[in-house]
Amino acid sequence: MTAALHRPRDLGAVLDLLAGTDDPMVFGGGTAVQILLKQGVLAATDLVDIAAVPGLADLVATPGGLRAGTMVTLRRMETDPLVHDRAPLLAQVYGRVANPRVRNTASVGGNIAHGDYRLDPPTALLVLDARVELSSAAGVRHVPIREFFTGFQETAVGRGELVTALDVPTQPRGGAAFSKLSSLAANDWPVASAAVLVTAADDVTREIRIGLGALAPTPVYVAVTVAATGSDDDAVDAALAAVEPLIDPLPDVRGGVGHKRRLGRVAVADAVRAAWTDTPRDIPREPREEASDDHRLPFRRLRRRR
Amino acid sequence: MTIDSRSAVSAGVADRGSAAFEGRAVGESWGRVAARSKVRGELQHAADEALRPCLDVVVTRSTRPHAEILGVDAARAKAVDGVVDVVTGADLHALLGDAIFTGPAFADQPCLAVGKVRYVGEPVAAVIARGRAAARAGAEEVAVDYRELDPVHDVDAAVRGAPFVHDELRPSVVFGDLAHLRGIRDTNVNYEYVLRHGDPVEPPPGSVTVSDEFWCPPTHHVPIELPFTAAWRDGDRLEILSTTQTPSYVRQSVADLLGLPLASVRVRTAPLGGSFGAKMYDRLEPLAAALAWTRRTAVRIAVSREEAFLLTTRHGAAVTGSMTADADGNIVAADADVRYDTGAYADVGPRITAKSGMVASGPYRIAQAHVRSRCVYTNKPSAGPFRGFGVPQVTWSHESLVDELARARGEDPAAFRRRNLLREGDVSVVGTPMHSADFVGCLDAVTAALDWESPLERPTGRYRRGRGVAVGIKAVLTPTISNAVLQLNQDGSATLLISTVDMGQGSDTIMAQIAAEPLCLPEGAVRVVAADTDVTPYDTITAGSRSTYHSGNAVRRAAEAMRDKLIEIAAARFGVAATDVKITGDGLVSTQTQQKASIPELLHAHFGARGTTLTTEADFRTTWQPYDKRTGRSPQVTEHWFAGAAAAQLTVDTATGRVHVEHLAIAGDVGRAINPALVEQQLTGAAIMGVGHALFDQLVFDEGQIVNGTLLDYQLPSIHDVPDRITPIVVENPHRTGPYGAKGVGETTIIPLAPAIANAVRDAIGIRFTRLPLTSERILDALAAQEEPS
Repeated sequence: MTAALHRPRDLGAVLDLLAGTDDPMVFGGGTAVQILLKQGVLAATDLVDIAAVPGLADLVATPGGLRAGTMVTLRRMETDPLVHDRAPLLAQVYGRVANPRVRNTASVGGNIAHGDYRLDPPTALLVLDARVELSSAAGVRHVPIREFFTGFQETAVGRGELVTALDVPTQPRGGAAFSKLSSLAANDWPVASAAVLVTAADDVTREIRIGLGALAPTPVYVAVTVAATGSDDDAVDAALAAVEPLIDPLPDVRGGVGHKRRLGRVAVADAVRAAWTDTPRDIPREPREEASDDHRLPFRRLRRRR
Repeated sequence: MTIDSRSAVSAGVADRGSAAFEGRAVGESWGRVAARSKVRGELQHAADEALRPCLDVVVTRSTRPHAEILGVDAARAKAVDGVVDVVTGADLHALLGDAIFTGPAFADQPCLAVGKVRYVGEPVAAVIARGRAAARAGAEEVAVDYRELDPVHDVDAAVRGAPFVHDELRPSVVFGDLAHLRGIRDTNVNYEYVLRHGDPVEPPPGSVTVSDEFWCPPTHHVPIELPFTAAWRDGDRLEILSTTQTPSYVRQSVADLLGLPLASVRVRTAPLGGSFGAKMYDRLEPLAAALAWTRRTAVRIAVSREEAFLLTTRHGAAVTGSMTADADGNIVAADADVRYDTGAYADVGPRITAKSGMVASGPYRIAQAHVRSRCVYTNKPSAGPFRGFGVPQVTWSHESLVDELARARGEDPAAFRRRNLLREGDVSVVGTPMHSADFVGCLDAVTAALDWESPLERPTGRYRRGRGVAVGIKAVLTPTISNAVLQLNQDGSATLLISTVDMGQGSDTIMAQIAAEPLCLPEGAVRVVAADTDVTPYDTITAGSRSTYHSGNAVRRAAEAMRDKLIEIAAARFGVAATDVKITGDGLVSTQTQQKASIPELLHAHFGARGTTLTTEADFRTTWQPYDKRTGRSPQVTEHWFAGAAAAQLTVDTATGRVHVEHLAIAGDVGRAINPALVEQQLTGAAIMGVGHALFDQLVFDEGQIVNGTLLDYQLPSIHDVPDRITPIVVENPHRTGPYGAKGVGETTIIPLAPAIANAVRDAIGIRFTRLPLTSERILDALAAQEEPS
């Protein structure tokens, strides 16, 4: 069984192919599709390679944040000063995906469209309240990332649709952290991951936003408020109580349900504690100002800590 | 990661690095042959070679662990576009008879199942097609009708009795010592080795005994290069290009299979992209040979990564062990009951069972030892050789027990080992004396590297720190045979013909050094020819760390014979006695008359032509005394011993159960390092592989089916799993008959690695683990159990 390979040169042609072929599959960075092809388990009749379509790899600042075209590589999200400036948590999380070879090839759109429950980037996209742009021959629609993951390896991407961009709001002021735990080899799929952002809900309350990966059949988002005067232990307790009913692990060679639940609690506790501790006593309420290029930290200084 | 070389030899090399060439080769860290082309992806592996047009072969594999084959319907497969033919085991059996059952110890494995399947993944039918896609599509269309039989998956259930994987045992005709097993029925135990040393006595007063049950799971080798075999008929000859560590064995096996003279079978290799025992004995070659020969065509079998997991594994092994120390802290008794799970076919399992059984009580002076080691069939993929040849599995037991014994006595585990370790001249429990196996030196080196005597900083919070040590012993495969042919070219370069296969261990580099040494040839002057049975002479196998010693000795002898020939020619030219001629980096020189001639001048004058060659050859054989059938002992059970040690300092995250190795020190007594850099790389590579086995590397089965047989799920150490710091230490106690004192090194540090890690975990959190690997789940479960009030 061989699929036909198409290399359209404009978006219209892509969308026509997605609408007009039997069982099309978008070929983005190819890091997932290539494996499925090699294993002979890909059922698609047509592969639509979107690498030659102009504009899909643009990464630009927007009035409220940034916009990443679907073909922007994970490595660019990890290293680009714009992402470091407007959404440092996002840069940190993209930097934890797989390895540099994969990150240099895999695309932001393909990554979320893959829909795997263990992916890292959705955890940060969830807490940042990103928006997915979906295009089809019928037009463009936008889906909040918090409504994008609809089931086990299922997303909101409909028949004939292509993820064309991610719109990410500027990261609110406050502390942020990402924790990712594997149970076997260090580079293996995680068994638990958590992206956490602590921000001001009002003058006396903080909001803890939590994006969970690998701990349920889909990436999961939850938020909880804690008094600004609370300790890091208070924050951790509140966060654990909030995630507890949402953790629903799938057992496999990496561990049973009990083990993954255990590690999920550690990932959440570690990330919440780090983010809470990282949050200034007085969080500026005004919107974050865009730093001029002169004041941007070189991205190396912002790279993840071990 | 820091590689922190502590070896005296390495320091010496660094010092000599800038010196001018003085005609010295042995002991120098010559650059690895083909390193540059490997890094650039330019090296041609077998599957990269341009061959004559070949049909592709893909096999249909069994979906049942144990079943009778009632019928194979190939009609739909034959209808697939591009499919040329479909061949079953019954078809080949009709043509070739029982010769299609092959194997190095037992002739029990057919290249395509005949009558019965014995594991999930066993080849049932071969689809021959134009192109791999067509072959693959055809293989999916072959319909097999099975009658299921009760399977046996667990090694101890298989020992107890039915169901039986084979109706009767079929030892290979090659081995006389297995003949008594022929035709035995109603057992899954295909081989048993028993060691009895000393008489059992009541433990003296004040003795301490520890005992436990240990388990090492099956693992896979995962070499980067996938197995590949092509075969074609050339008139009345068969030619094979294959990824194999054992070209000489394959030639014999295929000649037996097809009833051909050895001269009619040509087996060729290309540089292997790793192997670790995965590409040995009968893999893809019997099927490729049978199809090419009987169909009079050229075929190629290129397996996928997922299929490679089914071709061979490391033996899972259960060990019930105990050890007793007297009041003075001397080990007085050791007992081990070892069961190797060899899967559906014996492969070399019986050899592993004996060779590893004989060292199951460790490298210690022990008054009384008893070992029972059994090789057991189950309905799983066949297990075969794997770096360490079964010894890491028994070392897991004895090095865990010794550690517990020291702790039970309140003694430092390193000091307790040091008192009991075998020394030069000591006779091991198997009856063979120790030579060039400095266990104490290795132990001292790795503990010194970790600053063992200094107090360890032991945090009491989430992260706990511990240190552990272990030693290992292994016997080299004996008896074996190596040959070498050396051609000295008129221009002073040389061509070395050996059947040792370079698979990344560096044999092409060090064999060139050994050949260069007596002839004072410089780096790059000696080319080693890839194994080709039409050209390169017989060599038993490239495995078991035997090549440096065995092939190395043959190469040294051939090179020394060449030196003697040159001296003879030069003596005639100079008109002096041969005893007055010396060979130097500049050529031959008369110490009496100071006359000089370079090798090119000498050979040009001698033959009267350019481009000529001068040839010498040599062989090297080792002998043994078969072990006594009743006691399992022999005064010469092996040609020599490998000695190694590992020490680890690590932390355990008690929240996640993750182990983080901060510092790993490893040492091996290699006799003499031919190439210190390559020796350190072998010590380090084996240790990193061992870290994987200690912490997460295992094949997981469910009802006989591998559930993690893809690289998405199978766990290997990545750069992030490598210890923060690694200290490889080369220990050199020259072997009296080694080439320049050298012995092999490829397996030495994988042997003690897993227990060194587990002993450090024991030190950190006070928990003894008996089952590998030490996954985060096992560690957290054990910590939870530890906290429960008992």
